[in-house]
Amino acid sequence: MIGRRAWRELRRSYGRRWPIPAACQVPCPSPGFAAPELGRPPARSGCAKSSRAPLATAAFLSSDLRFRFEDLCRMKACGFSSDALRDAPVAGMVDVPLAQTGEGIAECELLKWFVQEGDLIEEFQPLCEVQSDKATIEITSRYKGKVAHINCIPGDIVKVGETLLKMAVEDPHLLMEDCGGLENVNSPTSEMIKSKKCGVLSTPAVRGLAKEYGIDITDVHGTGRDGRVLKEDVLRYAADKRIMEGSSTSPGTDHEEQLPEGAQTHHNVSAKSGWHYNDETIPLRGFQRAMVKSMSLAAKVPHFHYVEEINCDALVELKASFQDNNTDPDVKHTFLPLLIKSLSMALSKYPIMNSCFNEESLEVILKGSHNIGIAMATPNGLVVPNIKNVQSLSILEITKELSRLQQFALNNKLNPEDVSGGTITLSNIGAIGGKFGSPLLNLPEVAIIAVGRIQNAPQFADDGDVYPVSIMTVNVGADHRVLDGATVARFCNEWKQYVEKPELLMLQMR
Amino acid sequence: MTIPQSQKIGRPLMKLIRLRGWPILQQLHIEEQLLRTSSENWCIINDGTREPTIVMGVSGKPAELLEIKPVLHDQVPVIKRFTGGGTVIVDGGTIFVTFICNKDAVPDVQPYPRPIMSWSSLIYNEVFQETGNFHLRENDYVFGNRKFGGNAQSITRGRWIHHTSFLWDYEIRNMAYLKLPSRAPEYRSARGHLEFVCRMKDYISRSDFIGRTIRVLGTHFSVEPEELEAIQTVSSTNFSPSSRLLTTQEIESALCEAESRKSLACSASS
Repeated sequence: MIGRRAWRELRRSYGRRWPIPAACQVPCPSPGFAAPELGRPPARSGCAKSSRAPLATAAFLSSDLRFRFEDLCRMKACGFSSDALRDAPVAGMVDVPLAQTGEGIAECELLKWFVQEGDLIEEFQPLCEVQSDKATIEITSRYKGKVAHINCIPGDIVKVGETLLKMAVEDPHLLMEDCGGLENVNSPTSEMIKSKKCGVLSTPAVRGLAKEYGIDITDVHGTGRDGRVLKEDVLRYAADKRIMEGSSTSPGTDHEEQLPEGAQTHHNVSAKSGWHYNDETIPLRGFQRAMVKSMSLAAKVPHFHYVEEINCDALVELKASFQDNNTDPDVKHTFLPLLIKSLSMALSKYPIMNSCFNEESLEVILKGSHNIGIAMATPNGLVVPNIKNVQSLSILEITKELSRLQQFALNNKLNPEDVSGGTITLSNIGAIGGKFGSPLLNLPEVAIIAVGRIQNAPQFADDGDVYPVSIMTVNVGADHRVLDGATVARFCNEWKQYVEKPELLMLQMR
Repeated sequence: MTIPQSQKIGRPLMKLIRLRGWPILQQLHIEEQLLRTSSENWCIINDGTREPTIVMGVSGKPAELLEIKPVLHDQVPVIKRFTGGGTVIVDGGTIFVTFICNKDAVPDVQPYPRPIMSWSSLIYNEVFQETGNFHLRENDYVFGNRKFGGNAQSITRGRWIHHTSFLWDYEIRNMAYLKLPSRAPEYRSARGHLEFVCRMKDYISRSDFIGRTIRVLGTHFSVEPEELEAIQTVSSTNFSPSSRLLTTQEIESALCEAESRKSLACSASS
């Protein structure tokens, strides 16, 4: 027994077990957790330019209109890869977590595996058996795929939400559905059951969505288990219905409805004058398609936004110092790593900002690792790779990892691990322009921070003199189901303090 | 009491097997077989078991749960069952009641441990309506604050089993084979076995209990008696039960383990 325990500890120390995944959930019929997967761009924010911009990467929700905006982070390369990559399928790994097995159950003992690494798995196939107190519970797979890596051994105590195994799945729709929650105990909620009595299996949230779209839910084909209608089914039906009714030429051009009137008028005028502008149909694939789904889900979450200005004089000076004393030609110092590290320091004090929300069980999971996602524009769309365990990284390590992710993103070489497991997101919209925007959450995270450009602004000294300061405007988007204004304000104050006085970071040095 | 045909409409079918003095290991094998290979709802009632037997949960560790020396000395059989939960010592005074259900048969019951536990308590609330003070307390059935019924479950895809061992009567000396468990319900408040449990026979007779249970079940399900032989003849050749009798060797090595732990603890404290 002692030997076995030591072996387990040894395994843990070699990092065989993954950190608690970003398995949280997003409004979804099934209880449980999901791990975010490749191609899960958070739908972030929108900014404001209408139009004909090439397919967007960041979408900001401003007061009335939703626009798409191209968000480039600072990168050396200007060239973009060819359109051939646009159609690359978004497939990859899913983290299969231990789903919620009942009220008040926080952990289970893993009893045995029914599968091993390399096995091909069908949907609903039993994966393992766990024990919680009085019950043994068979965990079944929500996906069809292949067991890539088993994270726990029999006898391990697994916390709810912790990854049991990793599976390689093929269908990107399944991956996106994952954002809606992983059901590996095959049990509908009681609300689902109530819906069943009306003839269609679905949750009240999905029914509400159908009603909002003016859809009869009994017309929607359900792709979930037992034919249940999922959110994605309703959205797909709505899109198809809209196409059939001729309200838009393609899913990709939905945004045209949101264009300011001027643009529409321009079209009419041109037509009258005899010029012919042809419509272009752009089917959304890959990251763009994933963004449609994730933004639609994000829009259902009640957001609030908190805006703050941060004095970046010290930041500018520090970055210059890093650059001046930099001996490594491969390293280019920018503001982002400093912002990222100080964000992590603030998260240590306000861990609820680094959490995810389980809507079914009304639980907030405080994530142990600070896996800070950075929004990046790529030729293929918006992608948000994250830097893992920022709390344990130095600023130099963050700089190098950020650079790696940027290069990989540009070349469409990001690994599934790079784009999954994020716990909070930073969007450097200021790299392109704009004072600030209203970012949309990267579900299942509860907070997102958009930083604007650092600009010179006048400030009054005590004696009435005007002097220039470097000001950066930030907009924190937050999930109001979990976070309140006071928490976000305090968190932002903490972060602001580290940015304005970076020497305070030294107090935390070990 | 016969239930009019009209009232049977809409209630799911539940097959009832009644046993008496059946060995607990065989009962567990039957239960597991029905859970995993049958698609019907079942109730199994075993009125007592032949010889005193210790039954541990699926991950029970003898070194932690049993007084191994007397268990070995008296050659008390020790079984590890396929469901979760704690350790009991069962004998002729124990009445076993097991429900095996398709989750769709009880659609208002979510197939999680707690909802199933609550549902079962509703059944027994009706059974013990005229008997004093029955509650579900954490995971136990109690009269007042004394346990008389222990529960365990196994939940699979689409089906679940909830089985109970009721202490209609017990022998005090048998309790001596069990250690005070490290994991105990809060309401136990560190009470010893004899202060913690009570005898159901002080509240209700055996026949009344079994009769009432079947009657209450009949108001929730359409109950049909089934002969055990009918199941045994159709036994699945692919099925291999996981409940098993621990070997003497296993129990002896548990003793060694317990003793080495004790000596480690002693040397650490000296």
